[in-house]
Amino acid sequence: MPPRGKTLEGGRRKGKTPRGFRALFARILVSDRFGHLTVPLFCILLTLFFSGILLLLLGKNPLVSFYSFLQGSGFAKKASYGNGVGMLSDFFAFLNICAPMLLAALAFIFGYRSGLFNIGIAGQMLLSGFLATIWVGYSDLPGILARPLVLLIGMGVGALLGGCVGFLKYRFNIHEVVSTIMINYIISYVTGFYINSRYVNQISRSSNVCSGASRLTFTKVNIAGYSCSVPLGIGIAVLAALIVQFILKRTVFGFEVRAVGSNRNAALYSGVSVGRQMVLSMMISGLLAGLAGVSYYLGYTNTIIPRELCSMGYDSIATALLGSSSPIGAVFASVLITIFQNGASYMSSTVGVAREIASVITGVLLLFSACGGYFRKRAEDYLKKLEDEEGGEKA
Amino acid sequence: MSLKGTDTRPDESVIVELRHITKRFPGIVANDDVTISVKKGEIYALLGENGAGKSTLMSMLYGMYEPDHGEIYVRGKKMHFRSPAEAAEENIGMVHQHFRLVENFTVGENIVLGVETVKRVGIFPVLSMKGAYDRIRELSKSFGLEVDPEDLISELGVSARQRVEIMKMLYREAEILIFDEPTAILTPQEVEALLKIMEELRRSGKTIILITHKIEEIRKVADRCAILRRGKLIDVLKVQDASTQEMANLMVGRNVVLNAEKPAPHFGETVLEVEKLCVRNEDRVQVVRGVSLKVRAGEIFAVAGVSGNGQTELADAIAGLRKAESGSIRLMGKDISRESIRERNGSGISYIPEDRQKYGLFLDFNLRSNLCLRRYFKAPFSRQGILNEAEAERYARDLVEKYDIRSGQGTETQVRSMSGGNQQKAIVGREIEEHSPLVIFVQPTRGLDMGAIENIHRQILRERERGAAILLISLELDEVMELADTIGVIYNGQLLKTADAGSLTSHEVGRYMMGVSG
Amino acid sequence: MNYIESMITDGLAFGLPLFIMALGGIFSEKSGVTNLAVEGFQGFGAFVGAFLATVLSLKTPLGSQIILYLAIAAAFLGGALYASLHALLCIRFDADQVISGVVINILGVALTTFLTSQINGFLFGNASNKFILDSSFRFSVPLLSNIPILGAVFRNIYPFEILILILGLYFWYLMYKTRFGMHLRASGENPHALDSAGGNVRRTRFLSVMLSGGLSGIGGMCIAYSLLLQYSPSIYLGYGYLAIAAMIFGNWNIVPTFFVCIFFGLARAGGYQLCLFMKLSSRYTDLFMTIPYILTLVLLVFFSKRSHPPRAAGQPYDKGER
Repeated sequence: MPPRGKTLEGGRRKGKTPRGFRALFARILVSDRFGHLTVPLFCILLTLFFSGILLLLLGKNPLVSFYSFLQGSGFAKKASYGNGVGMLSDFFAFLNICAPMLLAALAFIFGYRSGLFNIGIAGQMLLSGFLATIWVGYSDLPGILARPLVLLIGMGVGALLGGCVGFLKYRFNIHEVVSTIMINYIISYVTGFYINSRYVNQISRSSNVCSGASRLTFTKVNIAGYSCSVPLGIGIAVLAALIVQFILKRTVFGFEVRAVGSNRNAALYSGVSVGRQMVLSMMISGLLAGLAGVSYYLGYTNTIIPRELCSMGYDSIATALLGSSSPIGAVFASVLITIFQNGASYMSSTVGVAREIASVITGVLLLFSACGGYFRKRAEDYLKKLEDEEGGEKA
Repeated sequence: MSLKGTDTRPDESVIVELRHITKRFPGIVANDDVTISVKKGEIYALLGENGAGKSTLMSMLYGMYEPDHGEIYVRGKKMHFRSPAEAAEENIGMVHQHFRLVENFTVGENIVLGVETVKRVGIFPVLSMKGAYDRIRELSKSFGLEVDPEDLISELGVSARQRVEIMKMLYREAEILIFDEPTAILTPQEVEALLKIMEELRRSGKTIILITHKIEEIRKVADRCAILRRGKLIDVLKVQDASTQEMANLMVGRNVVLNAEKPAPHFGETVLEVEKLCVRNEDRVQVVRGVSLKVRAGEIFAVAGVSGNGQTELADAIAGLRKAESGSIRLMGKDISRESIRERNGSGISYIPEDRQKYGLFLDFNLRSNLCLRRYFKAPFSRQGILNEAEAERYARDLVEKYDIRSGQGTETQVRSMSGGNQQKAIVGREIEEHSPLVIFVQPTRGLDMGAIENIHRQILRERERGAAILLISLELDEVMELADTIGVIYNGQLLKTADAGSLTSHEVGRYMMGVSG
Repeated sequence: MNYIESMITDGLAFGLPLFIMALGGIFSEKSGVTNLAVEGFQGFGAFVGAFLATVLSLKTPLGSQIILYLAIAAAFLGGALYASLHALLCIRFDADQVISGVVINILGVALTTFLTSQINGFLFGNASNKFILDSSFRFSVPLLSNIPILGAVFRNIYPFEILILILGLYFWYLMYKTRFGMHLRASGENPHALDSAGGNVRRTRFLSVMLSGGLSGIGGMCIAYSLLLQYSPSIYLGYGYLAIAAMIFGNWNIVPTFFVCIFFGLARAGGYQLCLFMKLSSRYTDLFMTIPYILTLVLLVFFSKRSHPPRAAGQPYDKGER
C-alpha cells in the first residue's frame, strides 16, 4: 500500500546504524552477504534447541545424544570399534549415504529454482535403480563397462520420468506435487510386483544383490589399515553440485530457469519459452534424481526392498531448503542431515532413543527452514522501525 | 470496540475530526501530523498526488490501520478503531479504489457480507437472504442506484460494481461515506452520474469524504478541500474561493504547466497493421472481436475504453503473449502472427505491459538483470550460452543514468524494493532503448505520482518524435485526450470508432466507450 | 455377480473415507489456504485415534464399538490440532503454502512413527511401530440389502460410513448456508472484500484449516479401521493425495467431489475383485493397486486445464497490499 521502498533509495544507511544486541542480530539475518548463511544457521540452532528439549523430556542428555550422532557418522571417535574398522570406516560409510542425499537435494533444487516441486524424487530414484539393477546389475559385464552404463541408465530413466512430469504440468496444468506422488506409488507397486515375481531373494525378501562390477561403491578397500567402502557417488555428487551451481549462475539457460521459477508471466513476456524450460528443468531434476537412485541402490545398498520408497526422497527436500536452495549450500546441508540420519542407529544403541527421532529432527529442521523467509522479514521490519525511530528523534 | 468516549466540544456541525495524525510504515512516513475536521452534510475533498497519504489517512478513519500518534473523533467522541467492523458501527463506510467484491458471489451476497441476518431453522442457524434482497431493492429505488441483488458480480462492469460498493455502505446505514479515487476509470458520463449520486447522498444528509487527484471533480461537487503533499497537510480551502491553478500548485508544490505542448505530428509509413483480429481469453470467451487498425510511424494511436473490453488482450495478442484466433498482424509489411514472442521482439516490438510487477519485472532479481532482459541472450551479453556479467553491468549503468532510475544499491538493488515510479522508469527505459519501430504502452502511468507521470508522458512524446509507431492503451480518458493523434474506442472487443484525435471531444469518446455509436 | 457386489461394498468403504478427506481439502482451499497436507493430517488424526483406542481397550472395560466412536472423535481432534501447525505456518508465518504442506506431511510421518514406537515401548515394552485395532462391527439394512446387486450398498456397512454421510451433509450446510461458510468462501476468493466488510480473514482461515485437519483425521481413522485393521506407517499410502485429486476433479465443490470419491472407491475395489475373478496369484494385486493412481493421472489430464481453484488460494493475506 505505501511505497515501502522509498527510503531505500538514495543512501539508506545515512543515519547511524542502530545499536544493541537485537539490532545486531537482526542485521546479521538481513545482511546480503551473510543472510543466506545466517538464516539457516539460526534454523539449525532452533532445531537443536527444540530437539534438545525433546530429548530432555525423554530423560536423555541432549549433548551426549548429539555427540553420538557425530560418532555414528565417523566425525568423532566411538568408545570401541570392531576388528579392522575404525573411525575412517564410519566416515566412508557416511560419505556413501551422503552422496545420494546430495544428488537428491540437487534434483529438488533444480526443479525448485524453476518453480516446480519435484516430490517424485523417491520414485525416480527407485525406477532408475531398479532398471539399472536388472539391466546391468544382473549381467556379467566387466566393471569398466558396467559402471558407466549404470550411470547412463540412471540419468536417462530419471530424465525421462522428470520430463514426463514437466510435460504434464505444462501441457495439462497438472500440479506436479500430485502427479509425482501418483507416479511414485505406481512405480513402487509395479517394481514391487516385478521384484516379487522374478528377482526376489527368498531369504532376505529383498531383490537379488547386483554384481560387484556394476556397484558404484568399492567395498572392503583397505585405507590406513581400516576396511572402508569407497563410494564413487560422492565424487559425482560434488561435481554435480559445482556444475549445477555454474549452470544456474552463469549460463543463459540457468538464467531462464530462474526466470521461469521467479515469475512465470514475466518470463513469458521476456520471450523465454516457458514450456520448454519447464520440461527441460524437470528433466535435469529427474536426471539428478536418477543419479541419486543408482548411487543409492547400486552403491549404498546393492539390493532393493520391494514396495518401499526410500525416505531420502523427502529428506532431500529438507536438505535443499536448509541449503537455501543453493547447490553449494546443499553440500553443507546434506552433510548435516546425513549426520542425523546416518548416526541415528549408533545414537539409538548408545543412548536408547528410537532411531526414528532422526526423522523427527529433520522434520523440525524443515519446519523452521520453511519459516526462514519470515525470520528475515521480521528482522528487516525491525531494523526499518529502529531507523525510523532514530530518524524521528533527530528531526 | 471501545465506546469510552470523552466529550470534547459541543460543535454539533463537526462530525469527524482527525487531530495530529501520524502514521509510519517501515521506511516511510505516510501521514505527518495531519489535522482536519469534516462537517456533517458536506462533501469534503482530500486532494493530493498518488502517495501523498490520502488513502492511508482515510484507512485509519475506516479502521484498516491504527495511527501511531494522534486522535480520531467521531461526533465528538474519541475513537480507537481496530477494524473496519468497529468503524462501521460508527456508521463509517468506504469505497476503495480497488473494489472489494467477491467475484463469484451475487450482488446481494456481497452487500450483506459481514452483516448477515441469520434465522434459525430448528437448531440450525441459517443465512436469510430474502429480507436482505428486499431491502436492497428498496434502497436502490430511494437513492436512484441501479443494482439487482441477484446479479453475479463477475458479470458486471466497472460502474455497476461501484454502485454495489456504494450500496454496501448504504445497507450498513453509513452516514460518513469515504470515496477513494472513485472516478479514475469511469467514462465522463459515468463520472457525471456518480457525482449526481454524491449530491443526492449529500441532500439526504450523508457526509462524504472524496479522495481524488482530479481538481475538476472537486470543483464540481466539493464544499471544502484539504490538500496533502508527502504526508503533510498543506492547506484547507473553500472550493468556491480557490482557483484551479492555485489548487494544482499547492498539490504539486511548484508551478505546474496544466497542458503540455505537443509538437505537430510527422506521419510516416504504416508500421503496424492489424486486420480482423480475434482473441479468446482463458475461459474461451472471445474478447477481441474483429479488430482492425493501422499505426503509422510517428503516430500515437490510443485505444480508449472502459476496463475489461478486450484492450489488454489486444495488446497481448500483438506482442505474442496470447494466441490470436484469427486475423493477421503485420509489422512493416511482414506477417508476424505466427512468430514467437522473442521473434516479434526481434522484428521490432517493444512492449510496456499493463501489470509491471506481474509481467514487466522480476521483482526478486536485481536491477541489472531486469534491465538486460531484452539482450541477455545475445552477444556481447552472452557467448556460447555463458553470461557476461561485466557487459551487463556496463549496459545497466548506462540505462540507470540515461533514464534517471533511482535505487538504493545501484544495479544490485532488488527491484522489489524500488518505488513504482522507478520500476516503471526501468521498464520504459529498457524497452525504449531497443529503438523498436513499434512501441506498445498499456496503462503506462497507472498508480504513479504526478512527477513520474510527466516523465513517462515526455518519454512517449520523444518516441513519437523519433518516428516510432506508438500504440497506447489507457483507461484514463485524460491521458488518451492529451497524447493521442488518433483515437480508437474499443467496446466489447470491437473498435467502435476510429478518428483523428482533434475531431473528437472527450464527451464523444466517453459515449463510444459506453457502447453508444453515432 | 458376487464380485460386483463386493466391489460396491468395498468401494463405498474406501470411497467414503476418501470423501471426508477431500471435504477437508475443500474447506482449507476454499478459505484460501492451499492444502497439500491432507496426507499428513489423516495420518496424524489416525495416530491419535488409534493411540486412544489402544489405551482404552487396555485400561478400560469399554466395548469396542464405543471405542470406535471415541477413536474417531479423537482422530478429529488430533487432525485439527496438527492442522493448526499448517495454519500457523501459512497464516502467521507467511510460509509458502505448498512447502508448508510438504513439510507437514514429512514431519507427520516422522513424528507419528517415532511416537508410536516410543509409546509401544512404554506400554508394552516392545517398540513396535503399529497399534493393532479391533475390527469394527458392520451391519446390513434389512430388506434393502436383499435387492440383487444394488442391495450391496446396504450390506456390511461400517458405522463410520453413515457418520461420514451425516458429516458430509452438515459440512455442506456449513459451507453454503451459514455465516461462517460465507466468510470462508469470501476469504478464499477475495480476502480484502471480507476484511473491509468487517470479517476476520485470518481467523476464518485458521478455523477452516483446523476443520480441514479434523475431517482428514476422521478419514485416516476410518481407513485404519477398515483397510488396515491397525495403525502403522502404512497409513501413508498417498490416499491424502488421491483426495486432493478428487477435489480438483470436483472443482472444489462438495457434491461433485463426493461422486468422484465414490468412483475412485469403486475403481479400486473393482481392480481388486477383477484380480480375484481372474484367479491371479496374490502378488498381482500389486499391479491392480495402481489402478486408482493411474486413473487419477488420466482424469487429471482431462480436468486440470479447466479447473478453477479459489482465486486467493496459495496467497498469504497481507492487508496492506492492494
